[in-house]
Amino acid sequence: MTEQPPPVQNPLTVVMKAKSPEDYAVLQKTVEDLQSLPPDQNPVTVALNKIATVHFARFAFLDNDQLAVITSYDGDFEVYINEFINEIGDVFNMLMAHVEGGPPLPVQTYRQEFLDYIRAHDCRCVGTFYSAYPDRTVLDILNSANASR
Amino acid sequence: MPVVDLADVQGLILRGYTMPTARYLGLTVREPQAARAFLGALTTSYPATLSITTAQPWAAKPQCCVNLGITFSGLAALGVPPVSLDSFPAEYAQGAAQRAARVGDAGTSSPQMWLPWLADPALHLLVMLFAQSSDALDVATKQLEQAWSAGCVERGRHDGTWLPGTVTHFGYRDGLSQPVIADVPLSGLPDHLPRAPVGAFLLGYPSQHVGFSYPVPAPPELGINGSFAAFRVLEQDVDAFAEFVDQQASVNGMSKELIEAKLCGRWPNGTPLVLSPDSDMPNPPIPADALNDFDYEDDEQGHRCPVGSHIRRMYPRGQRVAGNGSHLHRIVRRGITYGPPYDPAHPRDGQDRGLLGLFIGVSLRDQFEFLMAEWANDGIFTAGLGRTKDPVIGAQAGGAGSFSIPGPEAPVILPGLPRFVTTRGGAYCFLPSITAIRYLAGLVAEIVDSGATEQSVHSSQRNTGVPARH
Repeated sequence: MTEQPPPVQNPLTVVMKAKSPEDYAVLQKTVEDLQSLPPDQNPVTVALNKIATVHFARFAFLDNDQLAVITSYDGDFEVYINEFINEIGDVFNMLMAHVEGGPPLPVQTYRQEFLDYIRAHDCRCVGTFYSAYPDRTVLDILNSANASR
Repeated sequence: MPVVDLADVQGLILRGYTMPTARYLGLTVREPQAARAFLGALTTSYPATLSITTAQPWAAKPQCCVNLGITFSGLAALGVPPVSLDSFPAEYAQGAAQRAARVGDAGTSSPQMWLPWLADPALHLLVMLFAQSSDALDVATKQLEQAWSAGCVERGRHDGTWLPGTVTHFGYRDGLSQPVIADVPLSGLPDHLPRAPVGAFLLGYPSQHVGFSYPVPAPPELGINGSFAAFRVLEQDVDAFAEFVDQQASVNGMSKELIEAKLCGRWPNGTPLVLSPDSDMPNPPIPADALNDFDYEDDEQGHRCPVGSHIRRMYPRGQRVAGNGSHLHRIVRRGITYGPPYDPAHPRDGQDRGLLGLFIGVSLRDQFEFLMAEWANDGIFTAGLGRTKDPVIGAQAGGAGSFSIPGPEAPVILPGLPRFVTTRGGAYCFLPSITAIRYLAGLVAEIVDSGATEQSVHSSQRNTGVPARH
């Protein structure tokens, strides 16, 4: 039996601890305000639509003191770090001002430090990362959907 | 708007010289002080033939142009102190051989197989000559040899000469796709695509990325107005290419020219497929200065120009790509062919032929390496390509590549695609500004004059003599 190549998708589970209860409250409000915007005004949605490597993304709050960013995305995060920061850097500028040991801001200026922070705070995947469609990228799926319409 | 001092920038970064011959010479620094004196001579205005050619517009085209690239080990050999060396990007410090896997230089293209002078860690300086004639090339070479002989020894050289019609050995007209760079004089063909900022090609200016300038190596007089280049000796297997095209034309009932055009994205005469999918001689004709002015927005599925074709991979223009960064990985390409022309009447002549290429940008990692790794040697950056590779330059493994020609009905798949281009060697070079070359020329004098500690003088002296081999 031949070994299956790894999926084109990868997981990212970044858990960031708030600096203080006050900062945690700011993070909660910031994320809730962002996520209550209509999709075409939500900078997260607008950026991810443009980047087109992220299958799913969500924010979650953990233990009343941490914010998690959980995504499944195509390819290598490091390779697309510039594009990611170009499109969504300002959202991370808002959030990372309130997390413990956050990178220097703005992330647009301190790109390597942002990448280092994300790597250090990514919980990684235990064992195999399961994918139901290991060779399909976001762009493949959107293209098939367009073509079959 | 950034103002660039064109007289401080090496000319080949910002403009093509369009000269029919070229010579690349690899040198090792033997005597640092004398080598620095050679660098100093390259920045004096007399004798003029010895001066580095800058980006300043010329009143009359010279007979010969000279430029200089320095490898990371070359900077160390010239006496650049560690604190400064540490400020250069990691991929440049590692060098082309160590980064080979990232760009697909494996198997027959791996550094173990490279030309000895390019595999040599003691390759320090790359002297680049471009001339209007082979006589002018030889005259300039002799003058330069005299100038460097006290400080450097030659490791090897490679000559290039235009083929008639400035085509590559595969028969395609070359040199049409170049970025239009903002705020500097236009070099190459105009287009209506986004301008690349000058900071995508020179250190010290806002880059192509939002709110970001690439870090300038220290000190500023060494870093500012510099750039980086990947020099590559790329052997072209014209026999394999011709056989593949013949076979696929016959199997699929297409003309050889159409197969060639689909692989490249341009007809051999340079006409872009997306502008003229059925003929290389459209009526009305495409003006000569419009041959690089097009986009793929009306050809999303690649029915005219295959999405996986060479030029569409190397610059997808307005096509949707992963990361939304189609315009962020532009590269300046300076290429010239080497070896005798291929004669289809006498195939398998055993001659070595190919392309000497310089791929220039402010970041080797984000431009040259990104293009090779993500767009040439993988396909997941855009829809429908899977893990396929560039049909012309891709590092196909053992003839296992395939190429899809999309059409209104089922795509035509060309299987059994071999590797047509083999890397015979490469070097990652820093292209210092004129100010930086003068800085390097005066390096030790400056350290001594500024009252540096005994230790720092010693540390620069440590690099004198024969450089260590790794």
